[in-house]
Amino acid sequence: MSIKHIRLLIWKEFLQLRRDRLLLPLIFIGPIMQLIMFGYVVGSDVTNIPTAIVDQDMTMTSRALADSFVNTGYFTILERPATESDVQTLMDKNRVQVALLIPPGLEADLARGEQVPVEIIVDGADSKTASVASGYAAQVFADFNQKRIEATGLVPDAPGIDARVRVLFNPTLRSVNAMIPGLVATILLISMGVVMSQAIVRERERGTLEQMFVTPITRGEYLLGKIAPYILLAIIQVSVVMVVGIFWFRVPFHGTLLVIGLGLLLFLFTVIGQSMFISMISRTRQQAQQATMFILIPTMVLSGFIFPLESMPPEIVPVTYFIPLRYALVILRTSFMKGAGLEALWPQFAAMAVFSALILGLALSRFQKRLSD
Amino acid sequence: MESAIQLKALTKRFGSFTAVDAVDLDVRRGEIFGFLGPNGSGKTTTIRMLCGVIAPTSGQATVLGHDAIKDPEAVRRRIGYMSQKFSLFEDLTVDENLRFYAGVYDLTDEKFAARREYILRMADLVGREGELTANLSVGWKQRLALGCATIHEPELIFLDEPTSGVDPTARRHFWELLYELADSGVTLFVTTHYMDEAAHCSRLAFIYNGRLAACGTPGEIRALMTETVLEVDVDDAEAALLALERVSEIREAYMSGAVLHVNVGASSPASVVELLAAAGVTVRGIEVVDPTIEDVFVHLVTQQRAAGETLAATAPEAVAVPNPPVSGSPDA
Repeated sequence: MSIKHIRLLIWKEFLQLRRDRLLLPLIFIGPIMQLIMFGYVVGSDVTNIPTAIVDQDMTMTSRALADSFVNTGYFTILERPATESDVQTLMDKNRVQVALLIPPGLEADLARGEQVPVEIIVDGADSKTASVASGYAAQVFADFNQKRIEATGLVPDAPGIDARVRVLFNPTLRSVNAMIPGLVATILLISMGVVMSQAIVRERERGTLEQMFVTPITRGEYLLGKIAPYILLAIIQVSVVMVVGIFWFRVPFHGTLLVIGLGLLLFLFTVIGQSMFISMISRTRQQAQQATMFILIPTMVLSGFIFPLESMPPEIVPVTYFIPLRYALVILRTSFMKGAGLEALWPQFAAMAVFSALILGLALSRFQKRLSD
Repeated sequence: MESAIQLKALTKRFGSFTAVDAVDLDVRRGEIFGFLGPNGSGKTTTIRMLCGVIAPTSGQATVLGHDAIKDPEAVRRRIGYMSQKFSLFEDLTVDENLRFYAGVYDLTDEKFAARREYILRMADLVGREGELTANLSVGWKQRLALGCATIHEPELIFLDEPTSGVDPTARRHFWELLYELADSGVTLFVTTHYMDEAAHCSRLAFIYNGRLAACGTPGEIRALMTETVLEVDVDDAEAALLALERVSEIREAYMSGAVLHVNVGASSPASVVELLAAAGVTVRGIEVVDPTIEDVFVHLVTQQRAAGETLAATAPEAVAVPNPPVSGSPDA
């Protein structure tokens, strides 16, 4: 094993990367796009929910209640139908997702200190919006009551609109906090997985791989020279994503770099093993790309990155244990948010160590066989 | 004189398929050794065993005095290898490719500077050092590949179909470079399926279906042919070939460049003329010629194929019908 040879191969790899129109953007623009996409789009607030208001009271109080909905920024009043029966039609046409029904006599009844039923109708077709909208609505009612009490000084016997419903969590904040640590591992999987398999297949396509093994370059030197540049790039990528996550998306960081680093390293080994394996079974770069996609989609869906594992049907759950990303996500999320260390996360570390050994071993034996056939 | 390459019963099997079947070979130092055969006949597999990339199933391979199986590292340091793909890094410049291969063979800076200058001149690339290799045309790529493969001044160079896909002018230029290398004492082991290139070699071996079918100097190879070969110029070659194939006495008939070569076998030149006339083909010229290397190899392939067919009942043939040897271009 000659350090000079490995350095030479790394130098060559970086020269090639610099000139590659496909891979370089993938490495640097990819993570930024994914950060924007997952940080803002997937994990973002539900805002400007199209809303209808049926105001049958038409008083100062009912208008004030309607305004407090608008003022949150979450609801946009698009329609003001006269009756409740129009709401159904509007929802069928997807014109509105939420409707606020203010009954006649709201102001008068509230003044008498009575409880007034104000109804919120939510379109359940989009479950995420539905749950977020009802959460917001409950908060609006609570604020409204609170202000009324402060303004009038009245403490009514019956709560005007039940003020005990409090939205203690902010759905926005919560999903980003889980999303960004997960994104660290996912970005590694997407960009490194694609880039590495492409880099090896390219050499096989062009015959330079074959050429290397009739020179004094050994297989070990070649592999290290191939992997090292991508480990370097992976470290840069991960650092960028973590820094943006912590300082821009304000994800609290309670973990230690040691735990996160070790977890990511083990995960990176599984990614490298997977890419090497793919590059050994693919003849062309397109095939490698397709094989990567074939693995990537179930990985994203079944790892718990987007959909929580708890919500999966019990028949599917055993499959998730075979997805290394699953363990990486647990390590990153619990370490980030709760500061969990090795003593709590050792089962995940053990699982990833086993997986990386298996996948790397498989890839290496395939590599040996491929070259000697 | 010591041998550059010595093979004893070298055999490589892939499952039930025998790619190289008990090949014995002795390549002397300083010769241009032509290793010929149709595609898929085992040429590349043999070279890969000689370079220590794959292990033979059985047999011995000694390269430059080293056991290629036990000590491939020692072999690889002293050989050069150039494949038909040229194996250059297309996204590196000319200079970067040279620099890379210099590093691969651990050349010192002074040595590299001297070799770089020599190769750039040899490949006619002076002034184009900064150009991306992908932008070079085939002839230049080929010469740069030769430069990279010989940057460490190896004693033995393997060239696997080095001229495939290269235009005739560039091929001639390339062979001149190979002669220069041979003159300086380097041993060249060249595979090709261009039969006209065989004449450039000091000795030839012909491999077919993994077996060595013939070995010797071009003259010795030609002498293997005892039958009469006719060169026939006709107006409708296709019709002529069809007519000739129907006659069992005629051994072989095939296109060699623009004319037909016919091994009359047990038949006679006169009967060929009659036959063609009967088929409505106009014969513009016909003469008995000295058999070319191509004629000999077509003959050997026909013989082997006939033998293979009788064997086919017991041993299934792993290789489909191989391509016939490609005839040489008229100007080479």
